[in-house]
Amino acid sequence: MSRVLLEVNELTTNYITRFRENVYAVDHVSLKVEEGRSLGIAGESGCGKSTLALSLMGYYFAPLHYSGGEIIVDGQNITGMAPDDVRKTILGNEISYIPQAAMNALNPTQKVIHFIEDVIQAHHPETTKKEIYELASERFELLGLSPKVLQKYSVELSGGMKQRTVIATSVILSPKVLIADEPSSALDVTSQKMVIKMVMDLMEKGIIKALIFITHELPLLYHVTDDIMVMYAGQIVEKGTVDEVIFDPIHPYSKALMGSIIVPEAGLRDVKLTAIPGTPPNLKKPPSGCRFADRCKFVMPECRAVSVNLRDIGEGRAYRCIIPEEDLRKAYKNEG
Amino acid sequence: MKAYRNYYLKKIVWFVITLQCAFILNFILPRMMPGDPVAGIVARMAQGMSNATGVQAVYEQYTELFGTDKPMLEQFIIYVRNVFHGDFGYSISQYPRTVADVIKSSIWWTVALQFPAIIVGWILGNTLGALSAYLRKGFDNVLLPISIFFSNLPAFAMAIILLVIFGVSLKWAPTSGGYGFDMIPNNSWEFVWSVIVHYQLPFWAIVLITIGGQAIGMRSMAIYELNADYVKYARFLGVKDRKIIMYVFRNAMLPQITGLAQSIGTMVGGALFAEIIFSYPGLGSTILTAVRGGDYPLISATTLIITIMSLVAFFVLEILYGLIDPRIKAAQSE
Amino acid sequence: MKHIIGQVFRSGKFLVGFVMFMAIVLTVVIYPLFIKDEPLDIVSRGTFLPPGIYVNVYDSIEFSPRYTLILDEAAARRIASKLSHEDRLAMQEWLVAMGVPPNKIDIEDTANLLELWENTFDPTARIPGMTNADRNYYIRLNSALDGLLATEGATVAAVNSETGVLEEKDVIDQTDYVNVGEVPNIRLLPLGTDNFGRDVLTELVKATGVSLTIGFVAGIIATSIGLVFGLLSGYLGGFVDDLIGFLNNLFTVIPPLMLAILIAFSIGQDQRGAYTVAVVIGVTSWPWTSRAVRAQVISLRNRDHVNLSKLSGHSIAYILLTDILPYIASYVVMALILQISQGILTEAGLSILGLGPRTTDVPTLGLMMSWAMIYQAPIMGIWWAYFPVIVVIAVISFSMNLMNTGLDRVFNPALRE
Repeated sequence: MSRVLLEVNELTTNYITRFRENVYAVDHVSLKVEEGRSLGIAGESGCGKSTLALSLMGYYFAPLHYSGGEIIVDGQNITGMAPDDVRKTILGNEISYIPQAAMNALNPTQKVIHFIEDVIQAHHPETTKKEIYELASERFELLGLSPKVLQKYSVELSGGMKQRTVIATSVILSPKVLIADEPSSALDVTSQKMVIKMVMDLMEKGIIKALIFITHELPLLYHVTDDIMVMYAGQIVEKGTVDEVIFDPIHPYSKALMGSIIVPEAGLRDVKLTAIPGTPPNLKKPPSGCRFADRCKFVMPECRAVSVNLRDIGEGRAYRCIIPEEDLRKAYKNEG
Repeated sequence: MKAYRNYYLKKIVWFVITLQCAFILNFILPRMMPGDPVAGIVARMAQGMSNATGVQAVYEQYTELFGTDKPMLEQFIIYVRNVFHGDFGYSISQYPRTVADVIKSSIWWTVALQFPAIIVGWILGNTLGALSAYLRKGFDNVLLPISIFFSNLPAFAMAIILLVIFGVSLKWAPTSGGYGFDMIPNNSWEFVWSVIVHYQLPFWAIVLITIGGQAIGMRSMAIYELNADYVKYARFLGVKDRKIIMYVFRNAMLPQITGLAQSIGTMVGGALFAEIIFSYPGLGSTILTAVRGGDYPLISATTLIITIMSLVAFFVLEILYGLIDPRIKAAQSE
Repeated sequence: MKHIIGQVFRSGKFLVGFVMFMAIVLTVVIYPLFIKDEPLDIVSRGTFLPPGIYVNVYDSIEFSPRYTLILDEAAARRIASKLSHEDRLAMQEWLVAMGVPPNKIDIEDTANLLELWENTFDPTARIPGMTNADRNYYIRLNSALDGLLATEGATVAAVNSETGVLEEKDVIDQTDYVNVGEVPNIRLLPLGTDNFGRDVLTELVKATGVSLTIGFVAGIIATSIGLVFGLLSGYLGGFVDDLIGFLNNLFTVIPPLMLAILIAFSIGQDQRGAYTVAVVIGVTSWPWTSRAVRAQVISLRNRDHVNLSKLSGHSIAYILLTDILPYIASYVVMALILQISQGILTEAGLSILGLGPRTTDVPTLGLMMSWAMIYQAPIMGIWWAYFPVIVVIAVISFSMNLMNTGLDRVFNPALRE
């Protein structure tokens, strides 16, 4: 078994709203990412996947708060560390991040190179500007970006260019793990492809050692990652490899998610199109039983009575439902 | 660079057109009012002046200036020509002084008082607003209500409060005038000192008036920026908080320059009241004497001068803003 | 709608502002129901009577039962009211200058001090370094001290209507008192009188009402113009937008106060009623509302529901009224509140310059301020002539801004915690 770069056990984080209510957007989430592998996290918007992305870095500020669990980065438990040490040694250095809204991710009144200087010097204060410039232009060129971009303000860059600049900046320190939060969702199709190719290149070129890719388009992950986790209402509802989750989903939600795609990716054309009726539960007051119960086709009275644990069925495969997997599979087959 | 040229060209064209419009408005507004302006002024003059030759001279000068018998366009051309020669006619209330003379003796007091005070107020207000946005709890709870309160006090009220506290009760500074009333302007240290002492209360009154509004503006701007995506991104790349705060303040400060430009007209108006309350020998007090003396030529000229001053300040700020905010350059080259 | 109002009232800031504002409005409405005096009636001869309860002296002597109270402090208080601590210090200074050894002077011992004073004071004495003003002060002080330690009462005399001879009518002892409740004529002047001798409080209440009206009229005019311009320029764009944008910039850069001064002066004092002034303020202060509305409309004009309405062939007016206006209504209300409070301040400013409403009909806050300034009330220490006015102006404007901040927090989530 290869080295585990990121291990998360029972991580729980919560938002505190203006009215002092707690919203547990990440609820007892556990995951493991090994060297050389990539993990996809899928779910509808509002399911907590973006919050999970932020929570995984172990660095919290209002309104997001740490509530329980642990994060182990390359063997080092960072949950007990002082926030400033996390900032200095982990963020950008060990784990890095590509935000959802790359359009506004760069300070509009700062040249790209100056931001890179700030990033590098936050971790390695002794680095000179000259060294940083050399490093940055080398890295930009390696990723197919012109070093001229470094001298520009972000407002002078086009949308796709901004996103690629952000990606290159995020990995400037060659972090072990990269968390990409819907890096392509706001872009046009061409730029989307380019961005996804770039992220995959990062792995191939060995700039990053492991990837966590978050998206609401489950099929997108087919081309990008090795494993998939499906999230619903702050909890993981299914885990497995890409092939398992996409072609053989167990949880009714994963199944429905596969069906809710409007434009299926190549190779998935025989999947039927169905929308998932209903809305996710209010996380301020999550239901006591299964959180998917209200929208589930196979709902039974017991579903609302007892909370369901993630059922481990071996080899990293797991799902959260009280119905046995065989019965679920049978039901799917009957539906056609 | 071409982008910049376009930007400045646009600004200059706009400046020239606005200047012309200000001229036209200044000319046309009184003439649009019901009744014959000359008749009204003659009536007012008759109450105010006892010097018959003075009245006669002003009357003649005034008829010439207004030239109400001539067509509107011709009147306007005469007006513009006169103004370009610095000729605003005679002052009615301070006859035989010319309007140009009265303004010449007061304009520098206003310039020297208002511009430093507004700039100091702007800088202090923005610093406080930024601090309040960053520190929030505690500091914010104290500072915000105070700022709101200050910014709600009208300019004259602030001036009166300072006057009463520091001038009348504590006697720290004189309550009126630009220098000791027993002095004649000269180059002695004594005179300079007197000017400095008299400068204090009006100066701080304007500073305080400016602070409140600016602090509130900066605070919401900075809060808005603190929630911006680039702040979150920089944080998650481990950039130091101190650096991030610098980004935020810079970005929040830049629009505040435009804010200052847009409110410079209002601010100058408010500052005039500070002058009036402290009988500072600037344009504000000139307006007051002009209104009380029914001195039309003086009012017209003073409002025009103040308008031009605000216009120039606005223009300079816009140019400055274009230079330091890269967003402007980018917007132009699109 | 109900829900929104409920949310608005949950905001503490809005609530505080609302309560303050309503308190003022209610005072303006209720006060005249109880106090029926005309606000511009002159009640006192002489100017600037200080605040207090005025007891008719004639009534106290002639019409009220007299009581004797034996109070130890009475004499001391009587003396203290004439002989302040500053006076005692001044007296000490004089005595020392005249050669009295400082250790013999105890300024707290009134009897001793007065005796020393009587023995040494000489109005003709010239003390080096003393100005004429100082000497006049001492002469005034000396006459004020006259009879200060007397213990006998005051004699009231009247001319006998039959004989024409002045006859002693009554002696009022130092221990005589009347009960204020039994004096037929007393007048409460909680804020004294102004330079004309008007009751400041009654005038202030009326002035607040008039100023609020001016503010409302000006605010509604400015907001209406700004709203129409903003809607048109934001929605139509193109040439209309350019034109309105130009006008807008023009009226922003030219100080609105300068325009108001020019217009108000040209109208002339006699034609300037409260409403005229309100209109002048309204038509010169619309630009920022228009700018703000325009920005809001631009952010709305490409929303789906607007596009749908466009495709359905609705008229521009219909789209503006039903698809855009409801979305910016909260914003417009906030703009209106600010315009009203700004209008009140501008009226005050114009009045200070002497360009407010003509002074003969109604008082306004600005006019009261203006008179106080002309009579130099702040420098003379006559606080009741200007301070209550400032407080009312500040409270109105503060309360309106609080309401606005509250509304802003409800409608603009970015400012929330």
